[in-house]
Amino acid sequence: MAALSLPAFSATQPVESSVSAGVSNYKEADIPRGDVVGGDNRRYDIDISQFRLLTPIGNRWSVDLGVSRETMSGASPWATVPGLDGEADLIMSGATIEDSRTEVNLSAALYGEDRSAAVTLSRSNEDDYAARAVSVSGEWTFNGDLTTLSAGASHSGDVIEPSDAALFGRVVREERRTRSVSFGIAQILNRLSALYTGFSLTSHKGFLSDPYKLRDVRPSERTERALSVRYRRFLTGAGGAIHLDYRYFDDDWGIASHTVQSSWYQNLGNRFQIVPNVRYNSQSAAEFFLPVDNFLLSSDISQSSDFRLSAYGAVTAGLKGILQQPQWALTISVDRYMSREKYGLTSGYEHPARLQFTMASVILDYKF
Amino acid sequence: MNPTAQSRPDASFSPRRASIARLLAGAVTLGLGACASVQPWERGTLARPEMQLDPNPLQTGLYEQVYDSKEAASGGAGTAGAGCGCN
Repeated sequence: MAALSLPAFSATQPVESSVSAGVSNYKEADIPRGDVVGGDNRRYDIDISQFRLLTPIGNRWSVDLGVSRETMSGASPWATVPGLDGEADLIMSGATIEDSRTEVNLSAALYGEDRSAAVTLSRSNEDDYAARAVSVSGEWTFNGDLTTLSAGASHSGDVIEPSDAALFGRVVREERRTRSVSFGIAQILNRLSALYTGFSLTSHKGFLSDPYKLRDVRPSERTERALSVRYRRFLTGAGGAIHLDYRYFDDDWGIASHTVQSSWYQNLGNRFQIVPNVRYNSQSAAEFFLPVDNFLLSSDISQSSDFRLSAYGAVTAGLKGILQQPQWALTISVDRYMSREKYGLTSGYEHPARLQFTMASVILDYKF
Repeated sequence: MNPTAQSRPDASFSPRRASIARLLAGAVTLGLGACASVQPWERGTLARPEMQLDPNPLQTGLYEQVYDSKEAASGGAGTAGAGCGCN
């Protein structure tokens, strides 16, 4: 009997073509009126359409094409100011922002006896932001097809051209560059479990500030490290599989985070799966994070009141249903995300722009 | 509230964080040492969709896009694609 294809754990060519299409809605909860002193308190509402085609070509190649389109509307924090009650309040962008983003990824992979190599070109366009990226990656399976080493490198060049730059005194055109290297090892532990460990090192250089905030000055360089561990185990007695993922992240802006995620894939008969999942993330604040913007500071001193750079914790709870047929699968999922300062492992400050969102998706996969 | 901004932070990583990374790497190494031989005909369960590292790449791509743009952390699961100006 030939070895089964285990695409996640070995460098093997896909044996059949697959097409996936999905539609999703991402909606952020409004910011409480009492925390907003100006502008619109309604945050982002984003509709997402996705498409992916993966197909083998001949005996040694495959092509992977991915396209996604997002249309978004909503307001985002413009400035954080002291409130009358001593807590920080927000000034939001006055008019609702309307934007769209289109991303295309095209990848070609070449397969050998026990290894593969791939090149991926990516392009993302928004009204005010364009990114071009290229990445190369390789995999090598050995040890009786039980162990797979992977490595990759990527380069992205981004151009930022904020809208209404002259009207609001924003930068007109800035650039940033991102380079990343990653390494991973996937190991089959036994016939019911497998483990993946990955590490990535990422460097950003250029304009890393948010041009839409009234005062946001960030260092022009950032180096990030991330270590992830992903465990899969099938429990025969329960008829399901558990996924346990952990990631440690830190950077030279002073941020460290721990992310834990777990999913339980419960089989109900041969055709249906129900998948509850929970995710927890805790991060510390950037060293230059300020609860309120300080306009007295020199513009060459780093400061940001962006909630994404504050200390907080976040919990996501989700539920997914999967209808699985031999040639196709239908996935419907809902996830709810809640973040609070008190959920975090490190003490911080309850940011008025703390995020809550709901995301729902419907995805159809077809193999041929 | 701390109204005082700090200048550009030190680019070094703390010894405590490095210790956590070493601890994890050690645990992974020990785990690999416990691997059993799995013959090709014993890999049926591992080939099941729910046993893949990424059972639904389309959905995983969406989750990564959301979390990478709304939280400070990213990376750890392969090479990155094109970025966005997500606010």
